[in-house]
Amino acid sequence: MNPLAVISPAPASPRAERATETATAAALIAQHIDVHLGGRSILNDVSFHVDSGEFLGILGPNGAGKTTLFRVLLQLIKPQSGSIAFPRPVEAGHTAIGYVPQARQIDPELPLHAWDFVALGLPHAIRPWLNRRDRASVQAALDLAGAAQLARKSIGRLSGGEKQRVFLAQALVRNPHLLLLDEPTSNLDPGAQEEMAAVIDRVRRERNIAVLLISHDVNLVNRYADRILYLTPRHYAVGTVDEVMQTSVLQRLYGSSVDVLRVEGKLLVTISSDPVPAICRH
Amino acid sequence: MLHYAFMQHAFLAGTLVAIMSGAIGVFVIARNLSFIAHTFSHIGFSGAAFSVLAGWNPIGGLLLFSIASAFAIGGFGVKLFRREVTISVVLSLFLGLGLLFLSMSAKKATAMTALLFGSVVGISRDNVIEIVCLSAAVLVVFAFFYKPLKFDSFDPAGAQAARLPVRLLSIGFLLLLAVAVSEAILIVGALLVFTLLTAPAAAARHMTHSVARMMLWSAAFGVLGVWGGLVLSYYTNAPVSFYITALETLFYFAALSWGRLRERRSPEPAASRA
Ligand SMILES: Nc1ncnc2c1ncn2[C@@H]1O[C@H](COP(=O)(O)OP(=O)(O)OP(=O)(O)O)[C@@H](O)[C@H]1O
Ligand SMILES: [Mg+2]
Repeated sequence: MNPLAVISPAPASPRAERATETATAAALIAQHIDVHLGGRSILNDVSFHVDSGEFLGILGPNGAGKTTLFRVLLQLIKPQSGSIAFPRPVEAGHTAIGYVPQARQIDPELPLHAWDFVALGLPHAIRPWLNRRDRASVQAALDLAGAAQLARKSIGRLSGGEKQRVFLAQALVRNPHLLLLDEPTSNLDPGAQEEMAAVIDRVRRERNIAVLLISHDVNLVNRYADRILYLTPRHYAVGTVDEVMQTSVLQRLYGSSVDVLRVEGKLLVTISSDPVPAICRH
Repeated sequence: MLHYAFMQHAFLAGTLVAIMSGAIGVFVIARNLSFIAHTFSHIGFSGAAFSVLAGWNPIGGLLLFSIASAFAIGGFGVKLFRREVTISVVLSLFLGLGLLFLSMSAKKATAMTALLFGSVVGISRDNVIEIVCLSAAVLVVFAFFYKPLKFDSFDPAGAQAARLPVRLLSIGFLLLLAVAVSEAILIVGALLVFTLLTAPAAAARHMTHSVARMMLWSAAFGVLGVWGGLVLSYYTNAPVSFYITALETLFYFAALSWGRLRERRSPEPAASRA
């Protein structure tokens, strides 16, 4: 066990036991993940699990390794040690993971319609044409992501928020058991952020999809996430919002003096990095 | 006109190559590989020149050089070869090499123009058979990879997120491209492969929003250009390649204007799907 890792105040073991007992309920079990990139340790003995249909919010400062963690889960990066398991069996027409990457450049001149863009993600491997089921699932994914009215628009011409919905639909059309969303609400105005979060929340309830969402907005995560994983460059904590968003826990995570304020039900995290105290609006 | 065997051969070979190049061209543009295709054509030229020197069938040298370079480019990574500096260095090296090979062989003058500017009316029955086999092979492989290739070409970030074997797709496509370029060289010559590989596809992008229809339009533009070129050249004696490039350019600007016009007329089509 890594002595530096901060484990959430809620005892982690009963949950982990439950996860292994009812293995079908867990969508993801990550154990003791260590990742080094470019000679630096990025993730240090990270363990957590996510149940089917659960919403796990991932918070943490820039460079904490949030995107790296997703790339490890996608097996685009091989961890130096640790294990990742996806206990739910993957039926035909489903995939284990749907992923919406953090930054995605779309050529504004790209002539594809949003509908065809979503269809690119369909899970069948080779068949060059679409059958009726494919068309229905593209439509269903667009409906679910709240992007049905965008179907006939050129993807390159959509606004940032509209694009995010189409990206979400493309991930959903793969019928994933686990959805990895890397800052899908950055670049969105507050209203659109709220809408996007609500859409994601609906998706996981309707399809029983486990959602891992990276965000810098504590309050957005607070409203929708069942639990949060808080990553800092050297430590992490997992637990419910109330368990993790506490001054004592964040102080250990950041290793400096941190204050968690609750103002009218909203969370505010301030980090005093000497000499100037700064407000960190996660 | 069509009772001459050489015209029959030219029509048959030209049509096949235009269809194949048109379809592949849509992906060349989506993957930003236009100038890599151009580099391939110069590498192919030196391969063909080498064949002339060695007394082989030109297509042998063409395929050997361009397929070898597809592996090399794939191995080093396409990014490196998209840089203009790399392209200009590699391209001139192989053009120079081709010149060297041809200068060492006896029949340099005719071979030189044929390879650089095309010789579609000089195509033999054997060439036609080779082209039929190659095009069929390319189209079959292409159909097999179509779905993942489409994903990776039009949305590389999404394809990586979906854990497609993107590196394999990249090298596989370069191989297809190498074969397509080799065939296009036989029709329009090394310096004019853009005419068949990118111009029809660029025009097609302005005609439709779906990838499949883009491929159809692109193939149609290619075929029309080749047919028009052959007919016009037959009656006027000017080179076929000139007419093909002229027609493709015409198609491109016509499609561009049409696309602009359509966009101005109806800002966005109604959101409905049959
Ligand atoms: N391929 C790589 N090679 C070396 N270092 C890397 C590589 N990829 C990421 N890193 C480093 O890993 C650290 C974590 O990066 P990561 O992208 O996971 O951060 P993040 O938590 O997603 O940050 P942000 O909130 O800015 O998106 C960074 O310091 C980054 O420089
Ligand atoms: Mg990130």
